[in-house]
Amino acid sequence: MVLSLALEEKIHAQKSIIVSFFAIICLVLATALGLLPFGEVTLPNGHHVSIPVYIPAVDWGVIAIILGSSIFVDVTSRSGLFTWVAIKLTKASGGDSLKLLWYYGFLTIIFSAVLNNVTAMIIIGSLTSVSLNKLGKADKLLGFLLIEGLLTNIGGLMTLISSVPNIIIGSAANISFVQFFITASPFVFVASIMTIILGAKIFAIKALTDESEIAESAVLIETFDENDGIESQGFFWFGAGMLLLFIITIATTSILPVARELGMGFVALSFAVIMLMRYKSEVDQFYRSVDWDLITFFITLFVVINVMEHAMVLELIGEGISLVIGSEESLFGTGALLVLSAAFSSVTDNIPLAAMLAKILAAAGTASDSSLWWAVVFGANLGGNLTPIGSASTLVAVTIIHKNNINMSFIRFVKLAIPFAFAQILLALIYVLVFLY
Amino acid sequence: MTTLDQFESVFRSAIKPVYRHQTVSIRRAVIITDLGQESAQEFAVLVQQLLSPLQITSWELITGDQFSDTLELLELLDEKDMDLICCYRNVHSPAWQHPHSLGSHLDVLIQKTSTPVLVLPHPRAGYAYDHAFDDMRQVLAVTNHMTNDNLLVSYAAEFTGSVGHLHLAHIEDDIVFSRYMEAISKITTIDTQSAETALRYQLLKYPREYMDSCKAVLSMRNPGMSIEAIITYGHRLREYLVYVDDLKINLLVMRGKDEDQLAMHGLSYPLAIELRQIPILII
Repeated sequence: MVLSLALEEKIHAQKSIIVSFFAIICLVLATALGLLPFGEVTLPNGHHVSIPVYIPAVDWGVIAIILGSSIFVDVTSRSGLFTWVAIKLTKASGGDSLKLLWYYGFLTIIFSAVLNNVTAMIIIGSLTSVSLNKLGKADKLLGFLLIEGLLTNIGGLMTLISSVPNIIIGSAANISFVQFFITASPFVFVASIMTIILGAKIFAIKALTDESEIAESAVLIETFDENDGIESQGFFWFGAGMLLLFIITIATTSILPVARELGMGFVALSFAVIMLMRYKSEVDQFYRSVDWDLITFFITLFVVINVMEHAMVLELIGEGISLVIGSEESLFGTGALLVLSAAFSSVTDNIPLAAMLAKILAAAGTASDSSLWWAVVFGANLGGNLTPIGSASTLVAVTIIHKNNINMSFIRFVKLAIPFAFAQILLALIYVLVFLY
Repeated sequence: MTTLDQFESVFRSAIKPVYRHQTVSIRRAVIITDLGQESAQEFAVLVQQLLSPLQITSWELITGDQFSDTLELLELLDEKDMDLICCYRNVHSPAWQHPHSLGSHLDVLIQKTSTPVLVLPHPRAGYAYDHAFDDMRQVLAVTNHMTNDNLLVSYAAEFTGSVGHLHLAHIEDDIVFSRYMEAISKITTIDTQSAETALRYQLLKYPREYMDSCKAVLSMRNPGMSIEAIITYGHRLREYLVYVDDLKINLLVMRGKDEDQLAMHGLSYPLAIELRQIPILII
């Protein structure tokens, strides 16, 4: 399955189909071999219910967070809020390439942290493509898009809900939103600055110095109208307020009464439903735009991992990992886990890795404040920057690069991305070992 | 909104066309006739009166005996280096009796010169509207060919003067639209109804935004000038003829050149042929 996921592009099959296929095989084999515990499930109130064995195998809390936040983000984007912010910043740059890189860079980080990496890349990438073409700076597109693609994976480290590995690890390790943010954000800040400075140098993105060029760029950039995408001022401000409230509620879920019991998934779904009320007669369009490939992928992946758990495969892998990193938390072990996680994430999806390691570390009784959790979080997120297939957001960046008729092969991406990825992983290694160990 | 294409569309749509006024200087003008000296002088006076608000300082007159073919006419004009050429249709040609051409000299002249050409009704034909030579208070600028055509609008504004009425027109061809919609209606992956609504709106959005920008800039420059936008669907030629009639247009301003072809571009030629009754400024 892992190999098939790594070769997803080659075999022309989407993630959900690959994993669903292996989930079926796993369930059939495990049932035939008597590995699965069939029978009624006992509810907390003592009632017994009959649930198919693959239903409790899924972490529905994670699915609820992903489903709820993706619908919430989709509806909120209709308010024109994200495009308004993006165009406002574009105009604030006055069309200066270097300022644009800094502004788009930090917007990528913020959007990746608040939304998700793929949506962030889609918004910033599409704006970059349109604005640079408008400014006659299409030659800088490659640099901009590549840097933004790499920044999505850094921004994805900022909060507990910024990326799926964070959600999985955070929920397994019982790390709160605030704790996650406080721990990860200093690294995100430093790594982002380093990436932008390095990117500006490598891709020769410089500030405008010629007066006539500055004036011409300022005129061109002023043709952008940030209000164009706003259908209703009321809904715009409602969207802005709801987004702020969503972040605050998610951040404080662990301490809020009621929400604490119902969990972040419930919060995300509730906010999605409130936003959907704006389009109450046409909500089906939002259901259609849900990434069902991703959702099905998660559900079936949880089934596969559950079967592997019952088949003691995870225990075996855990023992294998212990051989490398040691049975106790150690400098070498944490560092090795971070590097291995990054290496693994660079060639295939980081979600199976996160889900598997979360199970293994939880089963080993790893403490919430252990640096091993963070080694997996940093490795799984940053490994995506080594190759174009390492993360969905870098794949989106490559898609936009191709759409602009820029040649970008697998090898070329690796060659361009390696200085950034190595620097980021090295920085993460130092950060985790010095500050979190 | 979740896809790359959706966000690209939003950002593309956010780019507004902005009118930037271009300074138009018309100081030297030439009048081409095929008339004898006396009649030519009379015609010249008529044209000079018509163009008096432009404050043209230097006038030249080319009479019928000064050229016999187009090449000679072009050479004469080259020597004079004018800001405006005034000429009536079917000059040096008996074809003025037939409403089917501008005449060979004018056809070539419009394409060969970079100077704007004011095409006037033929003085002997008698088909000019009564208001054709009164003044240029009602000007219709046809912005179809290039919606973001700052030079065309700048010329139209210059001729309209400080107290005239400038009508900026964009008419989307409904026959072409219907043909595209028919094709779309056969594509299973596109919802026909929503595509029609969106396309119908989008096709007029850009000209509307451009004309709003024209209005804003020109109103600042000439507070006395009234600027109206005509943005609609219809049979383009027929609609323009109706507007010229209804609004009592004194001058039609349009593009004449098409970089992709040697002849006048699609809509301008039939308009120039059919609108014989009023002056037409071809840029």
